[in-house]
Amino acid sequence: MINGNKLFSAEDISGAIEKIASAIGAEFKGDFSECALVGIHQQGVPCAQLICEELQKKYGSAPVQGKLDISMYRDDIGNRVKLPPIRETEIPFDVNGSSIILVDDVLSTGRTIRAALDALTDYGRAGLIRLAVLVDRGNLEFPIRADYVGLYSTPPADQKIVVRFAEDGDPGIYAVKWENHNL
Amino acid sequence: MEWTRKDLLSLYDLEAEEIECILDTAAEFKKVSERQVKKVPALRGKTVVNFFVEPSTRTRVSFELAEQRLSADVVNMQAQASSLLKGETLLDTVKNIEALQVDLVVMRHSATGAQTFIASKLKCGVINAGDGAHSHPTQALLDIFTIREKKGGIKGLNVTILGDILHSRVARSNMWGLLKLGANLTLAGPSTLVPREFESIPGVKVCHNLKDAVANADVVNLLRIQHERQTAGFFPGTGEYARFFGINAESMKFMKPDVMIMHPGPINRDVELSGEVADGPNSVILEQVTNGLAVRMAVLFLVAGCVKK
Repeated sequence: MINGNKLFSAEDISGAIEKIASAIGAEFKGDFSECALVGIHQQGVPCAQLICEELQKKYGSAPVQGKLDISMYRDDIGNRVKLPPIRETEIPFDVNGSSIILVDDVLSTGRTIRAALDALTDYGRAGLIRLAVLVDRGNLEFPIRADYVGLYSTPPADQKIVVRFAEDGDPGIYAVKWENHNL
Repeated sequence: MEWTRKDLLSLYDLEAEEIECILDTAAEFKKVSERQVKKVPALRGKTVVNFFVEPSTRTRVSFELAEQRLSADVVNMQAQASSLLKGETLLDTVKNIEALQVDLVVMRHSATGAQTFIASKLKCGVINAGDGAHSHPTQALLDIFTIREKKGGIKGLNVTILGDILHSRVARSNMWGLLKLGANLTLAGPSTLVPREFESIPGVKVCHNLKDAVANADVVNLLRIQHERQTAGFFPGTGEYARFFGINAESMKFMKPDVMIMHPGPINRDVELSGEVADGPNSVILEQVTNGLAVRMAVLFLVAGCVKK
C-alpha cells in the first residue's frame, strides 16, 4: 500500500499518455523514422514504453526507444544520503542529427533533465531534443520547460509525487511525504 | 542494493550483494569507455591522490585513467619522492594529504593492513590498491567481473588459482570474492607455495599436481612466478616450475575445451604460461585489463558517493 494521497487514477494515467502521444504524433505528422523516445530511469522508462505503444496503435509505427541513467551526471554526488544503483543506459541509435524526445514521469526542479541533456550530448549532437512528462509539478529551479505534459499537480513542498504503473501494483499517481518514501 | 562504504579495503569485508553492486555498476561504466566521448562528470570537483608506497605501473595507470574518465582531479605520489624517506610517519603523511581537502586516497603499501589503519583515521575515502600479501580488491573484482561476463555467473563454477599462492594478495582477494559468490575453488602450485592450511576454509581445495588441479576447471587464473622466490628456495628453478606447473599447449589437452585462462600480469612468458596459450583463444588477459578500468571507475564512483564532507 502507498502511504500517501492519491492524486490521479490509472485511467488518468492512460488519458495523459494518450494526450502526450497525440501531441507528439501531431508535431511529427505521424512519421517517426528520424525520431527516438528516451526514457529516464526509473519511471521514465515504462512511461516511454506506454507512449510508444500508444503511437503504434494510433499511427501504425513508433519511434525507436532508448533508456538513460543520469547517475554519472548528477550535480549532488556526495550530498545525498543514499546512492541509488546505476541502471542500464541503452541508446540504440545514432544521436547525431536525430530528433529525441526525453521522457520522465515527473518534472520537478529540472535538475534531472539538466543531467539528461549533458548525458545525451556525450553521445552526439542531436538535431533537436524535446521533453515529455507525465506530471508537471511546477517548481522548476532551472530554465527548463516540458514540451508535452500529461497532467499538472502542485502538492505541498514536503511531498514527493510518486507514479506507479500497472506492473508496480496499485497504479496511480500519489503525493507521498518525503519521510515515508523509501526511494 | 545500495552502497554505503566510504572505503574499499578488502573483499573479505563485503557481502555478496555489495560485490554484485560493484560489478553491476562496472558494467555501466564499461560502456562509457566504448563511447566516442569517454568521460563522464561524475567526480567533477573531487580530488583523488594516488599514493603508491610500493611501486606499481599497471594498477596506477589503470586507476589514473579511471579517475580522469570520471573527471576527477588527480595527483600522483610515489614513496621515493615522499617525506616517508625523511622519516615522516605514514599517518602524518596521509594526514597532510587530507589537509589539502582531498576526497579520496588510492593507496598501495607493502605492509598488510596499512590502508585499514589509515582509513580509520581519515574522513576521506580510502581505496586499497594492494597491501602486502593480504588484499588487492580491485584486481579480484576485475577478475570476477571478467569471469561473470564470459561465463554468465559465478555460482557453481570451478575456478583454479595456480602459482605462488603463499605470497599473493591477488589469490587471497580472488578467493574471498569467489567464495562469497559461490564458486568452487582450487588453489594449486608447488607445496612450498600452497600451504595445506588453506583447506580449512570451506569451499577451498588444495592441490599440488597440475593435472588434478586444472582438468575440471572452468577458469584457471595464473599468478606470476616471482624470480626472487627462487633464490629463497621455494622451488629449484623457473625451468623446473614451467615443466611441472606451466600452462602450455600440452596442458591445454587435458583441460576443458572452453577453459578460460587468466593472468593479472606481468606474464613471465614460457614460465607459468606459454606464449602460445597467452595469445590463444582461451586467454582473456587483455580483456582483464579493459575491465579493470571499468571496475575501478565503479569503485571510485561508489566510494566517492559515500564520503561525507
